[in-house]
Amino acid sequence: MNPYNPIIALLVFFGVVLVLFLIFKPKNGLFFKYQKVRKENEKTAIEDILKLLYHDANISKSTIFNELDFSQNLLLESIETMMDSGLIKKEKELFSLTKDGHEYALRIIRAHRLWEKYLSEKTGFHKEEWHKRAELKEHELSGEEVDDLSTLLGNPRYDPHGDPIPTKAGKIHEKKGILLSDLPVFNFGKIIHIEDEPIAVYKQILEKNIHLDSQVYMKETSKNRLVFESEGEQFILSPIVANNITVISLDKADVVEKDTMRLSNLESNQKAIIIGISKECRGENRRRLLDLGFVKGATVSIDLLNPLGDPKAFLIKGTAIALRKDQAVKILITKR
Amino acid sequence: METKNIDKIIELSNELRWQIGDDFHDNLTEAIYADASKIVEKTVVKDNKKGAFYLNAKIDQIVTSKIWGFPIMLLLLGLVLWLTIVGANYPSSMLASLLLDTIHPFLKEGASFLGFPWWLSGFLIDGVYLAVAWVIAVMLPPMAIFFPLFTLLEDFGYLPRVAFNMDALFKKSGAHGKQALTMSMGFGCNAAGVVATRIIDSPRERLIAIITNNFSLCNGRWPTQILLATIFIGAVVPSSYSSFVSLAAVVGIAVLGIFFMFFFSWALSKTVLKGEVSTFNLELPPYRTPLFWKTIYTSLIDRTLIVLWRAIVFAAPAGAVIWLISNVFIGDQSIAVHLIHSLDGFGFLLGLNGVILLAYIVAIPANEIVIPSILMLTVMVTGAVGGAGAGVMFELDSVTATGDILRSGGWTLLTAVNVMLFSLLHNPCSTTIYTIYKETKSTKWTVVATILPIVAGFIITFLVAQIWRIMS
Amino acid sequence: MKTATKSACDTCVHYDVEGVKRLGVDTTNVDFVIALAGNPNTGKSTVFNALTGLRQHTGNWPGKTVTRAEGAFEYQHQKYKLIDLPGTYSLMSRSEDEEVARNFILFGKPTLTVIVVDASRLERNLNLVLQILEISSNAILCLNLMDEAKKNKITIDYRSLSRELGIPVVPTIARSKEGIPELITAISDLANGKIICKPHKIKSIPKHVEEAVQKLSAAIKKEYPNVSNSRWLAFRVLEGDTHILEALKTGAFI
Repeated sequence: MNPYNPIIALLVFFGVVLVLFLIFKPKNGLFFKYQKVRKENEKTAIEDILKLLYHDANISKSTIFNELDFSQNLLLESIETMMDSGLIKKEKELFSLTKDGHEYALRIIRAHRLWEKYLSEKTGFHKEEWHKRAELKEHELSGEEVDDLSTLLGNPRYDPHGDPIPTKAGKIHEKKGILLSDLPVFNFGKIIHIEDEPIAVYKQILEKNIHLDSQVYMKETSKNRLVFESEGEQFILSPIVANNITVISLDKADVVEKDTMRLSNLESNQKAIIIGISKECRGENRRRLLDLGFVKGATVSIDLLNPLGDPKAFLIKGTAIALRKDQAVKILITKR
Repeated sequence: METKNIDKIIELSNELRWQIGDDFHDNLTEAIYADASKIVEKTVVKDNKKGAFYLNAKIDQIVTSKIWGFPIMLLLLGLVLWLTIVGANYPSSMLASLLLDTIHPFLKEGASFLGFPWWLSGFLIDGVYLAVAWVIAVMLPPMAIFFPLFTLLEDFGYLPRVAFNMDALFKKSGAHGKQALTMSMGFGCNAAGVVATRIIDSPRERLIAIITNNFSLCNGRWPTQILLATIFIGAVVPSSYSSFVSLAAVVGIAVLGIFFMFFFSWALSKTVLKGEVSTFNLELPPYRTPLFWKTIYTSLIDRTLIVLWRAIVFAAPAGAVIWLISNVFIGDQSIAVHLIHSLDGFGFLLGLNGVILLAYIVAIPANEIVIPSILMLTVMVTGAVGGAGAGVMFELDSVTATGDILRSGGWTLLTAVNVMLFSLLHNPCSTTIYTIYKETKSTKWTVVATILPIVAGFIITFLVAQIWRIMS
Repeated sequence: MKTATKSACDTCVHYDVEGVKRLGVDTTNVDFVIALAGNPNTGKSTVFNALTGLRQHTGNWPGKTVTRAEGAFEYQHQKYKLIDLPGTYSLMSRSEDEEVARNFILFGKPTLTVIVVDASRLERNLNLVLQILEISSNAILCLNLMDEAKKNKITIDYRSLSRELGIPVVPTIARSKEGIPELITAISDLANGKIICKPHKIKSIPKHVEEAVQKLSAAIKKEYPNVSNSRWLAFRVLEGDTHILEALKTGAFI
């Protein structure tokens, strides 16, 4: 008379959980698929084609199909619309941007890079997520919103990866650099850009704690690996990974960070002078560290070690301030 | 007010900000510190011999050492909790006998002498007064012990060292070391724990600490746990072990709460809160001898009385509601009985019953009145002997008698275990919910903090009930 | 201990203990509004309690007072309202407590600001002091925890510190109420215009930045000739503080 049975109850429960899981599963759950379909409209496709052509001029239809994750029909329609409205031109089956198309592409790139800058300065999203989120947001922001965003951020010149942000007028100051793998042995360079695509390679760079704007000294180059020093640490990268890093070569005279190391490597009973905070430390985190007295020229030493190793307490301007390791690696010092 | 045309200023500032680049804040802070060190050079003379910092450093070395750091910490926090729970027993029962056994009958007599109609004296004295009296008797003594002790540790300067020691553990779940302290404060009172999260100055970690504070078993819930463990869990083992086993069960529940706190901290930081700004800094201030009496005084005024007052404000209407639902009849049954019957089915699925769920609904204002409400409602539904009538909450001095009433209401070991779990995992009391809203100023996070633990409670008790029934 | 002030205060009238009346939370009909600012952990709340006779909780823990507390005292028949601001390291970040402190000093228009600092950690504390001196020209430095400084063998020449900062400096040990009468005298003297402050302005700013600050500051001054802290406003605007831009539109800080 009573339909209750604990086994059936459990089965019903797991059934419900399974359905919820299928709907909200990260990446390919139904909910996210629905979101993706909704986003897959002509505007997005056009803007993505524009960006693609901005970076690689003169590419064929099949390359576009390969590079972009849209249905072929949508891409074909979009290309047609773009030809009609004079955003792209076709020569010998190869597409490239017209002047109008170039301007449009720069507007999208401006929105993308400003949004990445915004995410890096004003939110707590992890670096890995910036690009993905900006890819979505760039299609949503209106021209006015982009300008407001720029004002809010203080009209930044570079995005957090070191890429220049186009101005409102469409000017862009591309930095001329060389790939890290092309930096000759026993030469100094400075990292000006870390590419965030493909994400797998970018993740490897992030894991190694290689920082934008840091100086590098190349120790060894071979087919299989590059060995270089930066901020007092030694890094070994495969050339494929190193190709995601752009540097400018430095004269010996410009090398200022020869004896630089990271605060995380300071040992007890040593004293050091702070040289600065790495560009990788951004937004509110950077402000806090500065306010706490981690400024150029300040003396720092280790005050206390923690039973679990992290964080460490540093004596700075008369006060013990505990910092976690991921903060200490971003503070540059030189031993006294 | 007249609005000025500042477009020119904005335009100029935009241009200048482009010119000076994004280092402005760095430049300004460095300039300020440069000025500061020049001024200090001219005006401060430091004798480099070891001063009083030495003693400070010695204490620090011990309380953060590999060997002594954690034992000292556990000892001190354990001592504070033990003193609170054990020390509160005596004053609590004194207050209870005064407020419940002496003043309550006196008020009833007075009311009947003055010719109050039965419903007015029932509503005011059995409903409102009794709930308030209960909250005071259960809540005041532990808080009056816990808060001063905790505040003494705080004023001495020891607590930042606890945060320092514990940070690595909390970091793994995306939280801040200072959450160790707000969590400990939550063992006293969740509302106070939520207020204490102000010490966490990183937005993401503060929200985590606020939302997960309810997983600390608060003073209002300790007595429920101890009572149920004694009656039901202690009874399944030989009597020589029973007190040990029931103690272990209570501690187990508290530890389970800590586990949930870590789990949900991690889950929150990886999902809904991942976009919130996260920073870390922890100043380790010098030790200072606390001014003993002043600390006691201020902690009583600032913390204990404020929290108690809020609890009373919320408990009074709850008492009224309890009395009303037990005494207002629809058809031939009171509202309470109707509610209990409609909740019975869902309660059974969770290994609980309608009485328990209804008690938890009416006791949202204060966890202290859960057990009295359950007893009153059980007696009302089963018609068992005991109690003082519909809507009059009561508790019995004898643990055995309490157990008999509960068993007559259909309680088994499973019921007891699940009530213990549900007591840990349910919505925060209304004082805490209100405090969360005041601290976050956000309906969204208040709702999350309220819903999250109760959903967890439903799932856990459901699973336990089904597996228990399959196994037995 | 004596107050060391800009105007050689050796001849000043000394404090009049009889004239002080702690008024607790009674803050009606006040003559002057005094803001109390300072780093966390400098005994700011203890100073507040010593002045008002209140018993605010003073935890040995940074960031205790998040909401501001108010109290009052009466001295020589004048009533002073005291606002205890949240303890902060700086006024330039975006955290809630810093905004409360910053907004009050800027928009609350206190008669003067008493800045409580830890004498043993002067350099760190000066970060906040120098920022406040950019915002408000009337300030007093309360050099607290002098006993700890003494234990740590730190001596401070507070007369030349007063000269450097351009504001009165009063050494105190608030826990045992030492120096509090002198602090009250200094507050009264400054409030009644018997002392004039000439606050220190931040000097070491790199040249190209300083030029930008001056340009913007001049532009603000042009629109608001009566504003005394146009330089601070320029700092904020250059930092992209949208609140300040909003305030510039409405003139809320005048």
